[in-house]
Amino acid sequence: MDLTMIMVALVILTLSAVLSYKFHALGLIGAVIALLIGLNTCSSFTYGIFVFAIGIINLLSLSALKSDIQGVDYGLVGLMALATMYIFNTSDFALVLAALVLVSVPTYILVMLREGGTNVEVGIKYITFMVLATVLFLIGAIILVYTKNAFNGFLYVLGYVMLVLGLCLEIGVAPLHEWVPDVFASADPIPISIIASLAKIVPFIAALWILVYTACDMTGSITIFTVVLAVISMFTGNIGALTSKEHARVLAYSTVAGMGYLLTCLVVAAKPEFLYLALTGGLLFLFSNAAGKIGLFNAIKGKGAYSLLTFILAFSFIGVPPLMGFWAKLFILITLAKMQYFWLIGIIVINSVISIPYYIRLANELGVKWEANLTNFICLAAVIITLVTVLFVPVEWFVTNMEAIAHTVGIAL
Amino acid sequence: MNDWMFFLLLFLTPVVSSVPIVFAYKNEGWTEKLPYLSVFGIFVSVLMSLHILFAMEGQYSYPWIPELGINFVFMCDYLNSYMGVVTAVIAFFIAIYGLDYMKGDYRPSWYWFCFNLFTASMLLVVYSDNLFLLFVGWEGLGAASWGLIGHWFRDDDNISYVGKAGRKVGPLELSWPPSSGGWRAISTIRFGDVPMFFAIAVIWVLSPTLNISEIEWGTLFVSLGAAGTIILMLCFLLGLFTKSAQFPFSEWLMTAMTGPTTVSALLHSATMVAAGAFVFLKVTWYIEPWHLHDVPGVEQIYTLVLFVGLISGLYGALCGSGLLERKVLLAATTMSSIGLMFAAGAASFWIHHEVAGMNFALLVAFWYMATHAFAKASLFLVSGHLIHATHSRFLCGGFEFGKRFKPAFIVTIIATTFLIGMPPLTAYWIKSGMDEVMEHLYVHEPHIILPIILLVTTSLIYSAVMARFLSLNFIKGDKPEHEHLEGGGLMKLGYGLMVSVLFILLYLIFTNEETEGFVHAGYLSVSLAVGLGALIVYAIALFIPRISIFSRVPGTFFSDRMYLPFLNDYIVPKIGFFIAYIVQEFGNRGIDGFFNTRVIPGIFRAISRGIRAIQTGPLSSYVKIVLGFVMLFIILASIGGISL
Repeated sequence: MDLTMIMVALVILTLSAVLSYKFHALGLIGAVIALLIGLNTCSSFTYGIFVFAIGIINLLSLSALKSDIQGVDYGLVGLMALATMYIFNTSDFALVLAALVLVSVPTYILVMLREGGTNVEVGIKYITFMVLATVLFLIGAIILVYTKNAFNGFLYVLGYVMLVLGLCLEIGVAPLHEWVPDVFASADPIPISIIASLAKIVPFIAALWILVYTACDMTGSITIFTVVLAVISMFTGNIGALTSKEHARVLAYSTVAGMGYLLTCLVVAAKPEFLYLALTGGLLFLFSNAAGKIGLFNAIKGKGAYSLLTFILAFSFIGVPPLMGFWAKLFILITLAKMQYFWLIGIIVINSVISIPYYIRLANELGVKWEANLTNFICLAAVIITLVTVLFVPVEWFVTNMEAIAHTVGIAL
Repeated sequence: MNDWMFFLLLFLTPVVSSVPIVFAYKNEGWTEKLPYLSVFGIFVSVLMSLHILFAMEGQYSYPWIPELGINFVFMCDYLNSYMGVVTAVIAFFIAIYGLDYMKGDYRPSWYWFCFNLFTASMLLVVYSDNLFLLFVGWEGLGAASWGLIGHWFRDDDNISYVGKAGRKVGPLELSWPPSSGGWRAISTIRFGDVPMFFAIAVIWVLSPTLNISEIEWGTLFVSLGAAGTIILMLCFLLGLFTKSAQFPFSEWLMTAMTGPTTVSALLHSATMVAAGAFVFLKVTWYIEPWHLHDVPGVEQIYTLVLFVGLISGLYGALCGSGLLERKVLLAATTMSSIGLMFAAGAASFWIHHEVAGMNFALLVAFWYMATHAFAKASLFLVSGHLIHATHSRFLCGGFEFGKRFKPAFIVTIIATTFLIGMPPLTAYWIKSGMDEVMEHLYVHEPHIILPIILLVTTSLIYSAVMARFLSLNFIKGDKPEHEHLEGGGLMKLGYGLMVSVLFILLYLIFTNEETEGFVHAGYLSVSLAVGLGALIVYAIALFIPRISIFSRVPGTFFSDRMYLPFLNDYIVPKIGFFIAYIVQEFGNRGIDGFFNTRVIPGIFRAISRGIRAIQTGPLSSYVKIVLGFVMLFIILASIGGISL
């Protein structure tokens, strides 16, 4: 049934994309309808509504970009959001990988969009790494799943490393992050805001899903590899952002740092009983990161946004309670505490401190007076997302939902 | 009314009632009227304390952080209930006096808020059974005392100073302004509070409860061993000794006289300095050391307290004999009295004698505390009035002056005679009990004669000092330069009420069951001899308050408080500056170099350069880097995978 509805949504997306050559608005309408269908089929409404909100804001922000394929771009974003919503509906390995590809491929086109032409150079840079990332991820995943059925320690380690390397390349974890600063700084801020927000969710969930699914006795020892990469990424990202001037570059490095925090969640694979904590932390992090990146990239595009909004987004990035960014980091830290990674907690805290100056600087430089324009409305929508945890305190409702999801995953395993 | 309401009213009314004056600090009209509300707040506390005394008994517990064993636990036992009434009543009388005394002051809001906070904190210390809660009150006392002692923080009136202006001994000027007085108090107290907090933390870790009455003290001491017990109790006692200004931590008390006299009266009678001795009695009450003779370390601790108390007693009395400032003289004798309370309380270790089910030595210590509180508070209040009347903080006033200033004169006669242990007045019976206790230490275990010698010597000198205070203020003192005897009705009422309690206490001694032992001790020949000795010394000192040949040596030595200010103002600061120098030269430079100028900035610079060096632009170089890393990791993984 789910799959049928998704097929219907895909058909609507395709048709509206085709028709949008004639009528631009149709692309947007089609994407919104597809997202509504996606939300309706999504197994977790809490998760779905966040993805839906992020997808809608991404769609709206696209209207600020007068690209050559306006209309079709809505369809691409709709497709990404749809795949993101679907990821928790399936426990089918092939469909999980399909979702990953469905989220990844549209970004190849989106990254090249700009007003009055295409940004081919950025596109090539981006696509080269994405292809490599997808290949590594897929091969790693296949090897891991193979070891699940016929265990082989050597293959497990190889598969694990390839999958994690693929993920790192995909989301931009140091030292495989070289594409991130250049692409973020040279491409148009609007598509980048999509790549930095919506496109990060599925790779994370897919990787976590596969790692938990294929976990074995060796998982506990091999996670150190992930942790080392996470630490390198945090320091590289934060120091890079701290010493960068260009706004887009600061955000690029902050993404590198942020993906380092996120990567630490993967350590939970060794103890799936804490999966719900890692999911809570990881997803809240992805949502708050998405809201922040959308807001600030749109502020770059719109030559500034209302300063109150930019500061709230910056505070959420830093992790000031009770904004969503705080809860995200808190749950990541709780997960790490449960996993006995206390030194890593210390490193995350130090990195959070390092990040304070550049986020404040960014908020200050991008902050302007209030004006009723699209940028501010998008920023406002992003701020509302980060404030959800303030309106519905405590965040137990989210944790409960994640427990349910973790439970479902557990049954699937 | 629920029980918790009584406690709430007891602690909160003084604080809440002094909040309005804080907000009205700019409005002179209101700041003149609102002190009455603050005094009313303390009156409510008096009523509550009386209710607790007559109608409530045992432990009352209300949850605070039950998971950590930290709760609002109050104990309404003999000691706490009586001390609560003593504290509240004294604070109330002093507050009435303060209505007149503080009239026209430049910051009444500050004064009344701190005064009431101080009272509430002391009440919390008195009733708390939970050590953590007690510590909250304890810190409240510290903070409020700093505010009150340094009340006249502008240091603009010499009358509030301590010491003679220009009196220099070596590098030190022995004169202290109010701001310095406040600082000396808080810094000394903090020196003791930190180890005390540490001791409470240790008890918290080792004992399943923090409630004084429920802690298994014997088991705790046994589990710690002799050294552990001694270290723990030393840390705890450091808090008590500093708060109670015991030797050598007494300097802050002398310069605490820079505060308004009402503050001195409150600090020196039932609160602050008494708090240390009171907490010692309170804890000893439940430690029951007389049952712990087999537990190693306990005897050493109680011996230490015994001698610290007795030495402080003698030191205070000797200094008092040379001091010429009204309030500082009284401060020295307070230190002396508190020392005797510690000593009597510590003697309980060797005293098994019980009266009405209570340890005799502890009863002696507590009753001496109560009597001393009312007598000393009366004398302080008189001093304040004298300072107002004569515009001088030094002892002065002849017989003519005394006749014109009868209420103060009479109150001083009553307070001094009732306090020194002259038969048959109030303190005589209690001091007799104390003599019996110290005599016991000689006759029975531990067979040491020094305590009784120190006690009798201190008592005699103490008598002389009290007589000297009376004589030099009202009989044989120099004629004051100023005389301003009009008004002060509320002040007279304040000390009149205060001194009258001494008669009530005398009545209680003869009617209460638990004080039978005092009366019995009073009829012993040794006690009578000591009492008569005190009377004779008092009479002699009344007529010869100054002995000129002693004025330089040992007079100056005593009036300079045996140069103990050097420890406080010279030696300790020198040590502090030396540590600061070491920290600055070797610590801060290292820290600065590490965090601020060299190591970390260097690492950041290097990493930043490295990050930017990679970011050259061409895709081919990125691909090389990424593929390089991917290959490296896969090779490492392969090696790792094979070895695993």
